[in-house]
Amino acid sequence: MNLTIDAKSPLPVYQQVIQAIKLEILSGGLRDGDPLPSIRDLAKLLKLNPNTVAKAYYALEAEGFSEGRSGSRSRVKVPPGRQDALRRAMLESEFRSFLGKAVSLGFSRDDVRQLIERISQ
Amino acid sequence: MSQAIIEIRDLSLGFSRRRVLASLNLSLGAGEWAVIAGCNGAGKSTLLRAIAGVLLPDAGAITRSAEVPPERIGFLSDRLSLFEDWTVGRAVDFHCRVFQVGEFDDRLVKLLGVGPGSRIRDLSAGERAILHLSLVLAQKPALLLVDEVLHMLDPYIRDLFVEALIEAVSDRQAAVVTVNHTFSEIERLPDRVLVMADGRFIVDGTPEELRGLMKKIVGREPLPGGVPCFFRKAEGEYKEYFIYPFHEEMRTQHALDFQDIALPEIIKAFVGGGYEQKRMA
Repeated sequence: MNLTIDAKSPLPVYQQVIQAIKLEILSGGLRDGDPLPSIRDLAKLLKLNPNTVAKAYYALEAEGFSEGRSGSRSRVKVPPGRQDALRRAMLESEFRSFLGKAVSLGFSRDDVRQLIERISQ
Repeated sequence: MSQAIIEIRDLSLGFSRRRVLASLNLSLGAGEWAVIAGCNGAGKSTLLRAIAGVLLPDAGAITRSAEVPPERIGFLSDRLSLFEDWTVGRAVDFHCRVFQVGEFDDRLVKLLGVGPGSRIRDLSAGERAILHLSLVLAQKPALLLVDEVLHMLDPYIRDLFVEALIEAVSDRQAAVVTVNHTFSEIERLPDRVLVMADGRFIVDGTPEELRGLMKKIVGREPLPGGVPCFFRKAEGEYKEYFIYPFHEEMRTQHALDFQDIALPEIIKAFVGGGYEQKRMA
């Protein structure tokens, strides 16, 4: 498992935890039915406030990415049918931030297009 | 957060003629993690000791809810008081008797190779801190007050220490108040940041709020008008400007690179700005 939290990001930490776990699910690091790390363990691992982790877990469950049974740990649920759309959305958001950097370096869309073609050959 | 477990109203406290805390107000909820920062002499430790009940206020009141009887307040300070001649075992017995604690969890001290027969005077600063923490945790505290202990611990012990605090929050919804000068280990833990200057709070917000409100600009040019600068480091050719309060519209109004910064640097800027205002006063 490779969850990263950016200490400089103005994005609230619990939202970063949600993103990181979704990414882990979509990239196959966490599979359908896998138990999520306990709140206590993840908080210790990432040096996060347990309440922050709990908040992220509630949100993940509300969004259908995990399933809790009373008395046991939450398990990962890969939302059927939504996986592709979510992966696409993540790629898009990464690409937008890359594009922003390219533009700030003075490159045009055509430059970026050509670069992608050249690299993927 | 949840219902307040500590309520401080108009707290004033001083030593002889020096007023250290000036009409201070603070309310803390169960499970809340607050970090108090500020320059030396700002009143941080005094406030913590007042909350712990070690110092009595000159004016104002500190009200604790029923969940926080005195024996469930755990207070750790850099002035750790343990009898030097005692063994660890004797200190544990004594502490458990005074606080009427049944079980002492020796997991952490054992990890450091400290046994019940070790003499207190032979322990390193880090070993003492972990022993003290273990004693305090045995009280199953509802409120943990930690006065700048991290800076004297090595990286391994620091990790153990921070993880033990995280467990206390996770297992018992303990509220934690830490006074810190070093932040990197704990920057993602607090849900509330308080910065003190001259016995009062000049900042009280969540880390997210503060990350949104404080940005940094590094450059050789002076700042244009209309950009509020709370603190500047302008000794060298490249100046660092800490912008506060920042609004997103400033990005469109000015062609400047407003950089996101992490909590330790934000706090440093608040503390540095406090010194700057003192100089100008």
